[in-house]
Amino acid sequence: MFKRSLILGLVAGLFAGIAAVIYQKVYAGALGYDFATIVKPLNIFAATLIGGIIAALGYWLIVGLWLKEKGEIIFNLLLAIASFATILGAFAYKLPLDVEMPELFPGLTVPMHFFPALAWFTFKPLFFKPVQK
Amino acid sequence: MVSLAVIFAFVTPINWQIGTGYSIKFSSADASGIFKTFKGNIVFDEQNPAASKFDVTIDVASINTGNGLQNKHAKEEEWFDAAKYPVIKFTSKKIAKAGTGYQVTGDLEIKGVKKEISFPFTFKAAGSAGTFAGTFTVNRNDFHIGKPGGDVGESIKVEVSVPVVKK
Repeated sequence: MFKRSLILGLVAGLFAGIAAVIYQKVYAGALGYDFATIVKPLNIFAATLIGGIIAALGYWLIVGLWLKEKGEIIFNLLLAIASFATILGAFAYKLPLDVEMPELFPGLTVPMHFFPALAWFTFKPLFFKPVQK
Repeated sequence: MVSLAVIFAFVTPINWQIGTGYSIKFSSADASGIFKTFKGNIVFDEQNPAASKFDVTIDVASINTGNGLQNKHAKEEEWFDAAKYPVIKFTSKKIAKAGTGYQVTGDLEIKGVKKEISFPFTFKAAGSAGTFAGTFTVNRNDFHIGKPGGDVGESIKVEVSVPVVKK
């Protein structure tokens, strides 16, 4: 289970990274600001992959070792709460003073914080079959 | 006629135009940033500082702390109240030579409160251009900026660097 969970985490992280880079391009096209010097593609992929790996470890610990089937809802809740919690970092982030419009920074980064969870929930049925009751 | 021209040249102060690349930085515990818009009239003569005059304003709405929420907060009523007091004004009353630099005394007006301050500054001339640089500290409580105490330090260090060119 650990291996499948880890692969799911990596796949979710990778697709979340791709989605985030695409979103950054769309955002830059729409608003003219991409914060490319701060939000670099490499950093995006590193962050989403780390997010995916943390989710994988959490899933393995909660569902695989600890609560089994009952752990699904707990894990899903924790993943959603953790995603929400991380957006505080995006709002509190202090940009270099030469960046003209820091007001637009959360609009770029806050949605990205939900991409790993979204990718996890999207790809999970491919790795773990739903529990039949 | 020649002597008149010499006298006129001596007493006529030099007008300077504020160039690009100026920097108005402020810093304190837990808050720092810049003001992006600065304008005004600068009359300065190294040989005759007494005839010099600074009359400058800073656009409060141009504040940038590097954080969008802090920028919004800074412009609100509790802090700079940018809607009611859109500019910070400094008008010099006296400029004098002080050591290797100069000392300016003038009225600083922030949020409707005018207070006399005095601080040293330097001027580095380079042909028909030059750069003013000075640092001073203000207590934000004197200008009713924010509430006393809290996370933001009460003593605010202001660093100014203004490149100028002769008009």
